[in-house]
Amino acid sequence: MRSIVLEEVVKVFPGGVIAVRDLSFEVADGEFVVMVGPSGCGKSTTLRMVAGLDEVTSGRIWINGRDVTNLPPRYRDIAMVFQNYALYAHMTVRDNMGFGLKMAKVPTAELDARVSEAAKVLDIVELLQRKPKQLSGGQRQRVAMGRALVRQPAAFLMDEPLSNLDAKLRVEMRGEITSLQRRIGTPSLYVTHDQTEAMTMGDRVAVLRDGVLEQLGTPTELYEMPANDFVASFIGSPAMNFLPGRLRLDADRQVVDLGPWEIGLSRRVLERKPGLAGFNGRAITVGIRPEDFGDGNLGAGQDVVTLPVTVLRSESSGSDVMAYVERGHPDGREKFAKPDNKSIIPIIARLDRRAHWSKGLAAWLSVDPDRLYFFDPETGLSV
Amino acid sequence: MKRAALLQVLQATLVTAIILWSLGPIIVGLLTSFSTETDVRSVPPIWVPPNPSLTAYQELFQGTGAASTIGGTTTQEGAFGRSVWNSVTLTTVSTIGILLVAICAAYAFTRLRFNGNKVFYWALLATMIIPVFTIVVTLFQLMASAHLIDTTVGISLVLIATQTPLATWQFHNQLRDLSPEPEQAALIDGCTRWQAFVRVVIPQMSSGIAAVSAILMLAVWGEFLIPLLLTSTLRSKPVTVLITEFIGKYTTNYPLLAAAGIIALLPPAIVVLVLNRRIRGMLSGAS
Repeated sequence: MRSIVLEEVVKVFPGGVIAVRDLSFEVADGEFVVMVGPSGCGKSTTLRMVAGLDEVTSGRIWINGRDVTNLPPRYRDIAMVFQNYALYAHMTVRDNMGFGLKMAKVPTAELDARVSEAAKVLDIVELLQRKPKQLSGGQRQRVAMGRALVRQPAAFLMDEPLSNLDAKLRVEMRGEITSLQRRIGTPSLYVTHDQTEAMTMGDRVAVLRDGVLEQLGTPTELYEMPANDFVASFIGSPAMNFLPGRLRLDADRQVVDLGPWEIGLSRRVLERKPGLAGFNGRAITVGIRPEDFGDGNLGAGQDVVTLPVTVLRSESSGSDVMAYVERGHPDGREKFAKPDNKSIIPIIARLDRRAHWSKGLAAWLSVDPDRLYFFDPETGLSV
Repeated sequence: MKRAALLQVLQATLVTAIILWSLGPIIVGLLTSFSTETDVRSVPPIWVPPNPSLTAYQELFQGTGAASTIGGTTTQEGAFGRSVWNSVTLTTVSTIGILLVAICAAYAFTRLRFNGNKVFYWALLATMIIPVFTIVVTLFQLMASAHLIDTTVGISLVLIATQTPLATWQFHNQLRDLSPEPEQAALIDGCTRWQAFVRVVIPQMSSGIAAVSAILMLAVWGEFLIPLLLTSTLRSKPVTVLITEFIGKYTTNYPLLAAAGIIALLPPAIVVLVLNRRIRGMLSGAS
């Protein structure tokens, strides 16, 4: 069984900075796991520890069922794709790709065959005689992939391999890398700071913050059931809106009071989130994804509440409209004077491209209460 | 238009002046080397020899025999050739030695984490500010006690010690700008650290190594004080030291001196011509 296993891995840098704390997870055979998080969250350090480029302070790393914690990189049977491709500038593409096999003393005939095959898969056959300097960014990326591929390693490690490519190429390569990985089935650990990349590529996504694994799950799980407000805000673009509120669950009326807004919660919502009962009468943070808002001016459908807003500004991206709004209508602004709502919280809503929202407009947003996320304001944990 | 033309004339004049200033001594030397002693001593001076002769070059390699005047220039057969050979071996041995030490040291200082890394590095660089003049006496005693006086190895060791800091500094800067990723890729591709260093790091540094080698060869070839101090016979005396002996006590054979100078100029000139592009590249900041 090919796999990568991390067991309570800790990394403390000289000077006492803790980069990774008690990190444990497994990348199963054939699986593509993406580590994502803001810069400095420890994702690259983790990858480098798996590669053997950084030492582990404590904990164990297993590759292919073998404890590699204290082995140098060359004995780990891994291949890595670096952010800047890390090609050998003085070698041709062919030599770059074959270098690992040459070091492993693979016979020349087999080496040539494997390099040619990988070059065919990656469509870089005509580049084999060139030096890296003569290649475009996208081509270099392919060569770096090819170099990893020919090794037929027990695991692939990739450290932001697409971050130096332009947007179009990045989307293209994303698809290519995942389909390639699915085909060969080598367990892969991929690092990125781009949540879109993480969500589209990963079988599972590990969200890290300050060296701690906040959540590990499928993209859908992360999106629909974030473990806490950090994961909720990190996954999804634009980020989730967070509003401080208070829950009131009376016998006849179940609402969450958000200052200028009051959203009624159906029995269905309360049944699905039994934890909410414990917050009755207490403060709670409500999260609403920008894409869960609709243009309330078009009228409200079933199960949908409409909320008054004043437009601060709006941006059209062609396919949709990003509206930045504040809560309440200009004439009802005294509501903002409530003690717990001193500052205006701008809210982002992603609306259909037909929404022509101009600055200052008093408008309505619609939202399905079923789509609300609730978090404990003290711990940040999902309710 | 007129101003541009004037500027061009000014530029051309300036460039000509600089070239004359640099080449002047060489031209005078070249002309003198083809002159006879009589031409050189005549008043008013004869700049261009009326009957160019190769006597000086012949004497240089075949010896002058006894000087025509007591206290004049003398040289023996084979002495000059031997000193040129000494210079070539000294330059080769020292340059290779400096490169070996400096590249490894620079790599260690940039890539390896160890206690005192910075302290050692700055201490090494700090030795560059110590003038050689201040240490000649102790240096001589040290070399004498090690029986390294009048040996190429002895001079080389001292030159390696004195030139390594500068070279280390150059390689350190170069390595610092070099991405560590290819080297790490090599480690993952199956290399030991040493293999990665030899197969990936050094090839990436090749142009820098060529440029620094050229600078080192020029510096070592032109080195005078240390060889003067540490050599006494033709066993190890380089050409720079031997030439000074052509200046006689009372009279000097100037054509001979000039011919020696011209021949001593050739090896460094060849080095510069061959590695010119690399040196320019490094001076303009390319690696």
